[in-house]
Amino acid sequence: MFKKRFLASVLALVMALSVLSGCGNKDTVDGDKKDSGSKENVEITVWLTPHWKGVLDANEEGADFDSFFKEAAKRFEEQYKEHNVKVNVEVIAGDQRDELLNVSLNGGNPPDIFYESIFAMGDYVHRGALVPLDDIIDDEAKSDIGSNFWDNVTFGDKVYFYPFSHMPGTFAYNADMFKAAGLENLIGGETEIKTWTLQEFDEILNKLKTDLPKDKYPNAYPMGLFALNNQGDTWNLAYLRMFGNKFFNENSELVINDENGVKALNWMKNIYDNGLSNPGAESVSSSDVNAMFQNQQIAISFINSVLYNNTIADMEEGKMEKFDVRLANIPSESGDPLTFTYVAGAAVFDTKDETRIKVSKDFVKFFSSDKELVKASKNGIPVRTSVANEFKDEKPLFAAYDENAKYMFNFTGNVPGYGELRQVLYPEIQALFTNEKTAEKAIADYQTKGNEVLNKAKEDSVIFK
Amino acid sequence: MFKIDYQKQEYIGIENYKTLFSDPVFVRSMINTVIFVVFIVSLTVIFGIFVASSVFDKNSKYVSFIRGAYYIPVMVSMVVMSMVWNFLLNPANGLISYYARQSGFPTVNFLGNKNLVIPVIIFITFTINVGQAIILYIAAMIGIPKDLFESAEVDGVSRLHTITKILIPLVRPTTIYIVIMNIIAVLKIFVVIQLLTGGGPNNASTTLMYYLYNNAFKYNRLGVASAVGVIMFIITLLLSIPQLKAMFKE
Repeated sequence: MFKKRFLASVLALVMALSVLSGCGNKDTVDGDKKDSGSKENVEITVWLTPHWKGVLDANEEGADFDSFFKEAAKRFEEQYKEHNVKVNVEVIAGDQRDELLNVSLNGGNPPDIFYESIFAMGDYVHRGALVPLDDIIDDEAKSDIGSNFWDNVTFGDKVYFYPFSHMPGTFAYNADMFKAAGLENLIGGETEIKTWTLQEFDEILNKLKTDLPKDKYPNAYPMGLFALNNQGDTWNLAYLRMFGNKFFNENSELVINDENGVKALNWMKNIYDNGLSNPGAESVSSSDVNAMFQNQQIAISFINSVLYNNTIADMEEGKMEKFDVRLANIPSESGDPLTFTYVAGAAVFDTKDETRIKVSKDFVKFFSSDKELVKASKNGIPVRTSVANEFKDEKPLFAAYDENAKYMFNFTGNVPGYGELRQVLYPEIQALFTNEKTAEKAIADYQTKGNEVLNKAKEDSVIFK
Repeated sequence: MFKIDYQKQEYIGIENYKTLFSDPVFVRSMINTVIFVVFIVSLTVIFGIFVASSVFDKNSKYVSFIRGAYYIPVMVSMVVMSMVWNFLLNPANGLISYYARQSGFPTVNFLGNKNLVIPVIIFITFTINVGQAIILYIAAMIGIPKDLFESAEVDGVSRLHTITKILIPLVRPTTIYIVIMNIIAVLKIFVVIQLLTGGGPNNASTTLMYYLYNNAFKYNRLGVASAVGVIMFIITLLLSIPQLKAMFKE
């Protein structure tokens, strides 16, 4: 009796599943290969993480993070001759990027195009998930976009991303707090990215600690330090280069474990131990530090160009109290500023469908080179000299960022396994801050563990094969 | 058993398990998970029985109030609870450190001290979990026939003996259910770790689920992550077998 009932239940379940599976969509590409006139229908998907709102400007009505790509898609669909194209645009959260991409890749259904900061996408090049874009990059683009940006997007000898805009990382400082601490002589101009020497920087931190009026700025700290997770770790990476360390060698291995690397970690440790930074840096995130900077509890914090614009906009809209925010470079022992940038651009995934790849490449070329659409790059810092020149009067900081560009270092080194390498650094900094390890031990362990990650990733990298 | 790439999978025998057991972070995460399971489940059961046995026979409005008060954290999302605790414990701008500084007390970094972080997470997870246990225990205790307590009272049995000799044995099925459910829930502990400590400081609070998540979705090492999943399954099974045996024996 029981057996019969059991068999009947299983049979019913199988039948129900068969019926339900029949309700599913057919594969999009095959299903879409119907003739409409003489052209083939092609549907592609664009994913992007939030970058800027609006097509060209956040003040437009209904401006959102996908406005630009929806407008670009509309224009592309209208003018594209070879196929009837439909472009779907989806915004995904930046901190969900790897999870979503890994799941979609393993499910055999990656997006066709992904617009994102290149540093976060390098691993996908090494894993063979992206297709090279050399065939859509013409001489005009090569001459209009600086060579340092091309270096950022070149893996091996091929270009995998079409650079669109960039987002330089610097320090932001509260000039009002500087004035209150008697540091007027070390404040830079409003449209300048001030460069301090390391000695000046130490002087600033110490003076902020001792001379900042406690009644006006209670619970305030000179500088923001954080090591809870890999958020904002590029600044920690920059500090590690402070004493001249090269970081990666030509074999894409870490070479941080030397006198300069140890000096750099000791510098961070001294800042922390001497109360020149916020307390508890080992369990404070960069978001916490940014919030404290905005609440005027930290005088010098990390910032990038988009965050800077958002901070100014929030002040103007009354979302936060107004104060005088200015920019400065991360200092180094040599006196040259340490500067880096997040280059953002589009990549095309290898969906194994030649037609979709071709259309995707054409779309990337379209919005990355169209004279009108590339103006949207002014929301970050344009990679194209032509756009930067066009907006230089409206955006005076463009010139300052441009001046900085010659000091720029490529913080990822375009190494395979960079994503996992990021997970190795912050535990070592935590161990340093909590006195679990000395600077020597932490830097040695970082190099050993980091190189294990890099070597393992190199074995699987299509670029190193 | 496989090295899984999104394009292919390759049989590699027990290589994933070898990788796991040679990784000190994995070993640490396994030890941490067992510590969490043992302490959180014990605390939940002991405190659940304590609260339920103290209030189950009181005025029904009072019982409802206690139930409601303890159940609120269960209803609130784990993410929200973690954010609330982060707001309290953050060493730089958290409420506790703020008041400590204002009052001139030394501040303690509860989430950044490797000796404190485990007890703090145990406490936080316990406060979020215990409401469920209290509700179940109160329901079970209310269901016990009143005449048992009356006869105990007539015989002059003390309150403590009533609890240990009558209440606790009679709510045993509930205890088994709570223990198994909590073991399964705590083995999967992830949100609190992700939002409060990120596994830190220096991997001191990493758990198996957090390790699995990082490998599966951040490093795309699906083979290694699957191996962690198998190990978690075995641990759950081993921890649950004695309980299940006891239940079926009944």
